[in-house]
Amino acid sequence: MSVAEQIPAAPAAAASAATQAEATPPRPTPRGAGQVPRAAPDTDTARRPWPRLLDRGGKAVLWALVLALCVTPILLVMAISLGQSVEGSAWEWSLTLRNYQRFFVGSNWPADPTFLYLNQLYWSLRYATIASVLAVATALPFTYLMTRLSRAAQACWLVFILASLALSEVFIVMGWDILLSNNSGLPRLFLVTGLTDWLKETGWFDVLREWGLANPRNVRFKTSELATVLTMSYLVWPYAVILLYPALSRLDPALSEAARTMGAGSWTVARTVILPAVRLPLIGSTFLLFVFLLGTYVAVTVFADPSRQTTAISIYDHVRGANLDAPFGAAQAVILLVTATLFLTLGHFLTRRGSEGRA
Amino acid sequence: MLKAAGHVFMGLAAIVLALPIAIVCAAALNGGRTMAFPPRDPTLARFGEFFISEPVWTRALMNSIIVSTGAATLAVLLAWPIAYLLWKTGARASQTLAGLGSVPFALPPIVFGVGLGFFWAFLGGLGSIWAGIISHATLFLALPLVTISIGLQGIDRAHLDAAATMGATESVTFRSIILPQTLPYTVSGFFFAFVLSFNEFIVMFFVSASAYSTVTLQIFNSLRNGYTPTMAVGAVTFLTVSLIVFGAIARWGDLPRLMGADQSRR
Repeated sequence: MSVAEQIPAAPAAAASAATQAEATPPRPTPRGAGQVPRAAPDTDTARRPWPRLLDRGGKAVLWALVLALCVTPILLVMAISLGQSVEGSAWEWSLTLRNYQRFFVGSNWPADPTFLYLNQLYWSLRYATIASVLAVATALPFTYLMTRLSRAAQACWLVFILASLALSEVFIVMGWDILLSNNSGLPRLFLVTGLTDWLKETGWFDVLREWGLANPRNVRFKTSELATVLTMSYLVWPYAVILLYPALSRLDPALSEAARTMGAGSWTVARTVILPAVRLPLIGSTFLLFVFLLGTYVAVTVFADPSRQTTAISIYDHVRGANLDAPFGAAQAVILLVTATLFLTLGHFLTRRGSEGRA
Repeated sequence: MLKAAGHVFMGLAAIVLALPIAIVCAAALNGGRTMAFPPRDPTLARFGEFFISEPVWTRALMNSIIVSTGAATLAVLLAWPIAYLLWKTGARASQTLAGLGSVPFALPPIVFGVGLGFFWAFLGGLGSIWAGIISHATLFLALPLVTISIGLQGIDRAHLDAAATMGATESVTFRSIILPQTLPYTVSGFFFAFVLSFNEFIVMFFVSASAYSTVTLQIFNSLRNGYTPTMAVGAVTFLTVSLIVFGAIARWGDLPRLMGADQSRR
């Protein structure tokens, strides 16, 4: 899966928009199929004219563009992660592993080891795991029910889901922030409706305080792990639906019906027919969403406690933010990338072994 | 009984999904400067500010439109030959090419954003708008690649055989069969890339280097000073654009098929 292993070397050719036009088929002129030449196709004309563009030169241009744009940035991050920062905010090329050492055990190791950055990685993994599992677990029954609707109804739901999927992280966080912040939204609703008093009477309030979800006067969701995880889960929920949709819509309804005629209850049907059939896409989508969530930025900055921030935040701080140290930021990005690749490979391996086991 | 429970669950999911969005949209109607909910003295004045009178927002909106239109166009132009090559030859090399083209979309966006930041710093394009356009085109290349590939796979082989027996050259076949049949998928791919680029935040954050703002960047920058109803207008605008685009794809294209639904069942 590692990108670096597959590519020999990426040409650093600057990609200009002009070269792309070359590799693209020309605009069609509106002409019917009636003007097809009657002559028998000889090998020469059969390949003319534009496919030739895609033959050698075009292919080379395509490869150059893809390598330059999709692969070079990642290779650059890897290369810069071996560099070192110099006075001020500058840095220079180097071949040192100090940045990685700093990530795992701190720069003053072994005298004074710190695990601050490992701890951030732990929070990244923890948030992403909980949020992706939560999203997939709730999206599964929803998507199943959706695929049982008529085609037109499905299209309506899909428009709704896609619109929410496309909506920027910034807006989603803004919405949840208003909803969860202490002066408006849910905590105020709790206070006004008397739910807070009721919680205090029943003793649940102390439990909430223990979980860090309440201050002495009222419930409080900012900052909390609950708010972070919920928002992250919300962020990928539409993706979960879209990823599970193909598998579930191909599920043969005859199977469930057969099971039902033989006397199986709906819970048994779900457990013995539907779940095994979608097990692989289920695992696959969880891993994909997990990897996507590893890089969440806005939700974590707004909802997570400063002591529980993630690697993504630290990457930003070192590359663009307060403590400028580009090589160290790049090293953290590489570690995030390696983590992502590891989990994607693991997911791939699990699903492939699963499909071989079934065949 | 169980069916009813199913409907309740779907309704509940829809409510939770719509809740934060609805709150932001309602806040856009506020008359004052605060994001009160429910809105106080509702007015549409904030829409005027967002679209016409406040240069910060109008400039950001203009940048957003330029970047997403440019990026979606570039992505489609680059995706077409790759998808065509993959469909035509199915060779391992083409598979690798398509796979590499999808890599940016599969990675955590922040990693690719950092990489692009370095990339443009070296080429001297950091902070220029065309660097933003090319960056987004690369990031979302996977989307038209997938939709166009789905379209190409849907072409009836019989049409191609018929064309070949009648002696059509590859270019004639391309123009008269392949292009018209895949047009809806090309357009869908364009709009998927357009909408996602319109809403993208983190990659733009790194490649813009604060030299210009798109709407999402501008909103993030204003997060620290608290929300204003004008920002909520941005959310309403973006939601409307997404709904129109996906609604149009559903109306004129086959959205369930694009999303991978089974063809045989209706």
